[in-house]
Amino acid sequence: MLSTEKRTIARQYFFLSLFAVVFGVALSILMRFHLVYPQTPVGWFEAIWPVKASGGIMTPELSLSLMTLHGTIMVFFVLTLAPLNAFGNLVLPEQLGSGRMAFPRLNMLSFWTVVLSFLLLLASFTCQDGGPLSGWTAYPPLSALGAIAGPGQGLGQTLWFFSIGVFCISATLSSINFIATVIELRAPGMTLMQMPLPCWNWFVTAILSLLSFPVLLAAGLLILLDRLAGTAFFLPTGGGSPLLWQHLFWFFGHPEVYIAILPGMGIVSHIISVFSGKPIFGYKAMVFATIAIAFLGLLVWGHHMFISGLSPYSAIAFSVLTMAIGAPSAVKTFNWLATLWGARLDLTTSLLFCLGFVSIFVTGGLSGLFLGQPQIDAYFHDTYFVVAHFHMIMGIAALFGIFAATFYWFPLMFGRKLNERLGKLHFYLTFVLAYATFLPMHFAGFAGNPRRYADFTTFEFLQPILPLQKGISHAAFTLAGVQVIFLLNLFLSLRRGPAIEWTGDTGTWQR
Amino acid sequence: MATLTDHDVPIGELLGDGGYPPIIPDPPGGGGEGDGDRHRPSRGNSRSAAVIGIFVMMCASTMTFSALVSAMVVRRGLNGMDWQRIELPSILWWNTAILLLSSVSLDIARRLLRKQKRREFNYFWTAGVLMGSWFLVGQVIAWYQLKEKGFWLAGNLNSAFFYVLTWAHAAHVIGALAAVLYVEYRALRFTLGPSGRTWVEVSAIFWHFLDLLWLALMALFVFWA
Repeated sequence: MLSTEKRTIARQYFFLSLFAVVFGVALSILMRFHLVYPQTPVGWFEAIWPVKASGGIMTPELSLSLMTLHGTIMVFFVLTLAPLNAFGNLVLPEQLGSGRMAFPRLNMLSFWTVVLSFLLLLASFTCQDGGPLSGWTAYPPLSALGAIAGPGQGLGQTLWFFSIGVFCISATLSSINFIATVIELRAPGMTLMQMPLPCWNWFVTAILSLLSFPVLLAAGLLILLDRLAGTAFFLPTGGGSPLLWQHLFWFFGHPEVYIAILPGMGIVSHIISVFSGKPIFGYKAMVFATIAIAFLGLLVWGHHMFISGLSPYSAIAFSVLTMAIGAPSAVKTFNWLATLWGARLDLTTSLLFCLGFVSIFVTGGLSGLFLGQPQIDAYFHDTYFVVAHFHMIMGIAALFGIFAATFYWFPLMFGRKLNERLGKLHFYLTFVLAYATFLPMHFAGFAGNPRRYADFTTFEFLQPILPLQKGISHAAFTLAGVQVIFLLNLFLSLRRGPAIEWTGDTGTWQR
Repeated sequence: MATLTDHDVPIGELLGDGGYPPIIPDPPGGGGEGDGDRHRPSRGNSRSAAVIGIFVMMCASTMTFSALVSAMVVRRGLNGMDWQRIELPSILWWNTAILLLSSVSLDIARRLLRKQKRREFNYFWTAGVLMGSWFLVGQVIAWYQLKEKGFWLAGNLNSAFFYVLTWAHAAHVIGALAAVLYVEYRALRFTLGPSGRTWVEVSAIFWHFLDLLWLALMALFVFWA
């Protein structure tokens, strides 16, 4: 259990993320069900939550706390941990030729810190007055007031902040490990510009983590003092400013998006190059695009705050910088396409997921160009358009990167191979259903359907949207259902998958 | 590559009480200094990795403090009218002096160890540890005095920021003190092998960082807040 061996730690992170993602998906199913069938009683809801779902009908608080927990689990424990910590720990030392991370004990410590953070998060959900319901962004003043602010704002919210604080410490520790490993443990003679692209992406992601998580830690410290010690950093009544939280939070929150997606980009670059049978097109451009995305990502937090009373002049600056991210993203996309161009593709499951990644990354990225403009965002802000955008680019795209990595590096992690036939079936169904779930959300956003409502069925102007939302819910249920194929594949292959044969002394295995 | 983990045989005990044992030399192959970056025989020397690690750690701490300080700056800029000055307890000046002295003492010790002067190392390192501990005691007194004057967390944002920043700094000092005490423990048993000397280097670097951080905070409190 308390292993300091990087592959064991990688497996621990992998299984923690796997548990988290199953849990997070289950929460989203319950939430989507309540959203479109708010008055339909379900017997076992009452069995789980006798008070908060009495009669089998969820209270709005319960639904909102499901949403909060879904967001928090997915962002922190799936999209942050799996691409960086699980696959980074597994593959980075191999690709650098060091065979180990710089600080194995620190690595172990950061894993167990993250377990503590996860337990705190789960505990927050079981509190007497309900789990936290302020979303993963936890905006004050409501989140800074304590129990007086309503259900779920008491102990649950406090534990949530503690959980996030502990997560920040863990993320900082592991980013120290990654950065030191890349700087110090490269094989003799390997310069930075000779590193494989995944290493570059993990390196840049670790730097982003290092610069952003300590800021969230500081913000969390201040808001915990507001809640527990009577200060008023974020409370207007005591002279504080709720906007201050938004600045600090989004200074972390925007880079967090890139922390989730950059490792996926590295993985995709690597796998596309392998199965196209040629080196990646434009290696240097890829490296500089990664650095540019990360650098710009640190400067655009204001685009989350266009309608918070931000000065229009700074909104223009944030907007222009946001648009600028489109350039390095396009460089990456064209380089992937150029690598694929004219190649005799070996369409394995992991390559399919990479192609899916590129498709969904482009779809999700394009809607970002809309949201990055203050005028358009004024309308789209807090609608389902935003939900569609970030689920595409941060959720599904990053998840496809994780799937691609799982299929590609499963032999390195467990010494066995996943079943390709099940894998392809899983890919095609997931790809179609992901679009079926998240593409229609854009239309709900056009129609002005606000997000973060537990129940919108009573609003007359949203009545025409209800069938669309029902369709989305059913697509989401099916999408979640087909993931069983993946779980089946995973656990069957763990036991019965074909063991790999190593090819000579090259350190690779036969496919 | 030679193993670079602990080979800390308690030589002091093996030799009995007579005299101070010689220092185990650093293993060959990448001592960190003077090695060409490209062609060094073995990378992954634990000392240079640790030094890089501590510098990266310092970046992370700097980010936390930058966030806290910028929150303070932004908040004061929002509405300067309700910003109340606080009287800094004068003991803070003594604390500043003693923290700087402790840093000097630890650094002298570090240099002495390089010259193989273990007995002198122990004197100066112990002095540094004592002064560092005294800094923490002094901080507690400062907090107490300030609280007595009526400046506490609630009601005054300036003093709230003062407490948050000094607490965060003190938390860092406690962490650094743990490392410095660990070195002290090994130094007194004369078991500072190569990995022990990594601890000496790293904890001294971090201690100097805490000095700089404290000077920056004092400048903030005195000239600006």
